[in-house]
Amino acid sequence: MTTLRVLTVDDSRTILAMLHHTLSNAGFEVLQAEDGKQGLDVLKTETVDVVITDINMPVMDGIEFIKNVRATGNHQSLPILILTTETSQDKRDQGKAAGGTGWIVKPFDPEKLISVIHRVVH
Amino acid sequence: MSDLDDFKATYFDECSELLTELEEQFAAIEAGERDADRLNAVFRAIHSIKGGAGAFGFSALVGFAHAYETLLDYVRDGRIEMSDDVVTLCIRANDIVADHVKAAQTGEALPADYGMDEKERFDALARGDAAAGDDEGGDPLDEFDIEFTPVMVNLDAPEAPAAMAAGEAPVDDAFDSAPMQIEPGHWEVRFTPHRALYARANDPLLLFRELAALGEMHVRAVLEEIPPLSDFEPFAVYCSWEITMISSSLTEAMIREVFEFVEGDCDIAVAQLGSAAVGFDIPPAPEPVVAPPKAAAKPTMSDEPDPADLLALADDEVASLLDFSGDKDVAPEPQFAPEPEPAPVSVQDSFEEPPSLSFAELAETIQPSPIAKPPAPVAVAAAPVRVAPPAAPSEGEESGGNRSVGVQSIRVDLDKVDRVVNMVGELVITQSMLTQQMDETLRARYTELVRGLEVLAQTTRGLQDSVMAIRAQPVKSVFSRMPRLVRELATKTGKKIKLETIGENTEIDKTVIEQLSDPLTHMIRNSADHGIETPDKRLGRGKNETGTIRLSAEQAGGNILIIVEDDGGGINRERVLQVARDKGVVAPDINPTDEQIDQLIFAPGFSTASEVSDISGRGVGMDVVLSNIKKIGGSVHVRSWTGKGTRMTLRLPLTLAVLDVMLVKVGESPYVVPLSSIVETIQCSRASFERVPSGGQVLQVRGEYVQVIDLAQRFEMVTETDPENRFVVLCEAEGSAKVALIVDDIIGQQQVVIKSLEENFERVDGIAGGTILGDGNVALIVDVQGLKTTIVHKNAA
Repeated sequence: MTTLRVLTVDDSRTILAMLHHTLSNAGFEVLQAEDGKQGLDVLKTETVDVVITDINMPVMDGIEFIKNVRATGNHQSLPILILTTETSQDKRDQGKAAGGTGWIVKPFDPEKLISVIHRVVH
Repeated sequence: MSDLDDFKATYFDECSELLTELEEQFAAIEAGERDADRLNAVFRAIHSIKGGAGAFGFSALVGFAHAYETLLDYVRDGRIEMSDDVVTLCIRANDIVADHVKAAQTGEALPADYGMDEKERFDALARGDAAAGDDEGGDPLDEFDIEFTPVMVNLDAPEAPAAMAAGEAPVDDAFDSAPMQIEPGHWEVRFTPHRALYARANDPLLLFRELAALGEMHVRAVLEEIPPLSDFEPFAVYCSWEITMISSSLTEAMIREVFEFVEGDCDIAVAQLGSAAVGFDIPPAPEPVVAPPKAAAKPTMSDEPDPADLLALADDEVASLLDFSGDKDVAPEPQFAPEPEPAPVSVQDSFEEPPSLSFAELAETIQPSPIAKPPAPVAVAAAPVRVAPPAAPSEGEESGGNRSVGVQSIRVDLDKVDRVVNMVGELVITQSMLTQQMDETLRARYTELVRGLEVLAQTTRGLQDSVMAIRAQPVKSVFSRMPRLVRELATKTGKKIKLETIGENTEIDKTVIEQLSDPLTHMIRNSADHGIETPDKRLGRGKNETGTIRLSAEQAGGNILIIVEDDGGGINRERVLQVARDKGVVAPDINPTDEQIDQLIFAPGFSTASEVSDISGRGVGMDVVLSNIKKIGGSVHVRSWTGKGTRMTLRLPLTLAVLDVMLVKVGESPYVVPLSSIVETIQCSRASFERVPSGGQVLQVRGEYVQVIDLAQRFEMVTETDPENRFVVLCEAEGSAKVALIVDDIIGQQQVVIKSLEENFERVDGIAGGTILGDGNVALIVDVQGLKTTIVHKNAA
């Protein structure tokens, strides 16, 4: 099985660190960005299998980021998971409406995180 | 393992925030505000603490928090009434949770039975309710006790990713011990994806893969809707599926959970059939779910361009659903060879000759789980066990948890904020330096530049305000701990005390807030212990038998005033002075004013309590207040009215970083005086000084005599300025008494970034800190309050 590449987008260093830790231990290759804009920049040059993004971020928030990714021709089938502390339906709905594939609720349990990723990645 | 430590540090930060939140919520709950929002907030806080504790394996904390959470859950849904007793129990429980958190943080062990009494009371409460007609059967808490196993997350070695779809058979205790009541049987699922499903990068194949992990599955593609090629829209969705699931332990919730992410992006109908019934026209002899491995399942037309491209189903296995392998001759291919998308054509072609086709015949079983490939039967057996338990609880907790209440926020490392604060501070200085460099000639010549600088000044100020606002927090977080303190004090002293809080939404710098708790506690203890009289005494004095302590916060210019006021007996000045003389704090021949006597309670080592009081501490109360407050750049002032009460005022800086100052010259050196303490400036030639017998000078300002401090003298600087040309800077330190500082020149106003003198050098009396000016020179910040007290002490000594 080839190594899956994950782009993690979150402005919290702690969350990025935890994601990195969990994902790299599970054998993923992890790329990081601290806001939506950085995330888009990464996607310009890198190919990834799945994106995990926070919603509340400075510069460019997750919703805007997802919209931008989906607007890019070759990223229409890229799975994007929304990472959110808010379990409220409207945050999820906003993320979904923008083109999010699924969601992960923080704080995430590493096992669940991995399994959710596998729900959306081939 | 340092990573884990980092994560833990984050967790403990969060806990401390949540515990503060609990205090706040319960302060309101105690006051009678028992609405759903508060109960939800309390529930969430405990739930979050428990969640993190579970991740780190703090099992004692998890156990207690779980029982507490259950109680709260019952309160929340009305099964248990939030009576005063329950409130008191919860407040006690908050303490226990806090102690557990602390124990987890420090690694100290609490007694094994710590909090057991409370836990038993939770259980008893819950039991009482369960008996009262709740049909859940059994004791809910015991049930939880059995079912609940802390999630010990191993960050180093998470479960293999494939666990999801794979065939390991993890044994789930919860499931084993509390089997669900499920009728065995067949389920039929009709699944019609919308275009949005594909647009969001979801993929039916992945859903089938998950379904397959739940049990035996048969999938039939419904192709009736696929139009002739001429009408075929490339991005439209024509295909839907009928799925039959056969598993004895399957529930609708489990099936629905698979479709969790695509809810709203598809039509989904789930129906349970009788145990023997088969919902759809699946082939009479269903092929085993354990289909041949992927390669064998490949469509026979696999060398054709992938038809799924058109349907945005980029997978050959989905293509297999469209594969009419049995009708190859019916859909002769060459005839369509020139077409760019031959496959859909073949589909269409098939439709054009329907008689020979039964869709049932077209149906294919789908091969589950392309990720890891253990034998599928294991997956079928094991998967429901694995999938089911997370499904129900996570739904329930999350929707019940309802985190939507509250402000949207991000958690940012304070270091990051401070870096910004510092940089903004430097920016402010650079900006003011640039402005200073613009003399009249330059201003006249470069109007554009001047305008630019003005905008820069405005933006910088805005930026600074915004940054400061980030660090600002409402004093509520500290105030909220006080009602409880007062209640405890009242109980211990046998007095009747009521606490009023005003202005708790006033915001102050986070660091200031953190330093505020201890001083405030001491001050309130002091008021309760020494200020408020016993009910008898109060009645004797014609007062209400309940004493009042009023805690208020307000913004006054660049400062925040925190006032602790009581309507007690006031400071016993005779006694204070007596003690002060006895302890040598005040020399026998000095007769301090009433105001000066009042301030003596803050003198180091001073305590009037003849015996050590359990409440006010061991005589190290109020001087600690003063030193703590000074540390954060604030000042304390006390004023007392005999028989009527005492008012203690804390004056705190709004922010610790940037200060509005007046730049003055003392000798040839620049000094800065905080603008917030300056009342007015007067030319010496116009000021009327008067000598006093002690040899000092006073200044008469509008009939008021003000103590004069010559800064040159005080800081031992040489001054050659003509006394007539010097200036008086009239300052008002905390309280009523003003002080007149004599300086050699006044340069102007500006903002400076405060640099600590203590950190870089050492503490100097009369100096609050240092700063670097726009031209690179260092200027010292005059500590007006400090100057004054030094003088008082000199006199006193």
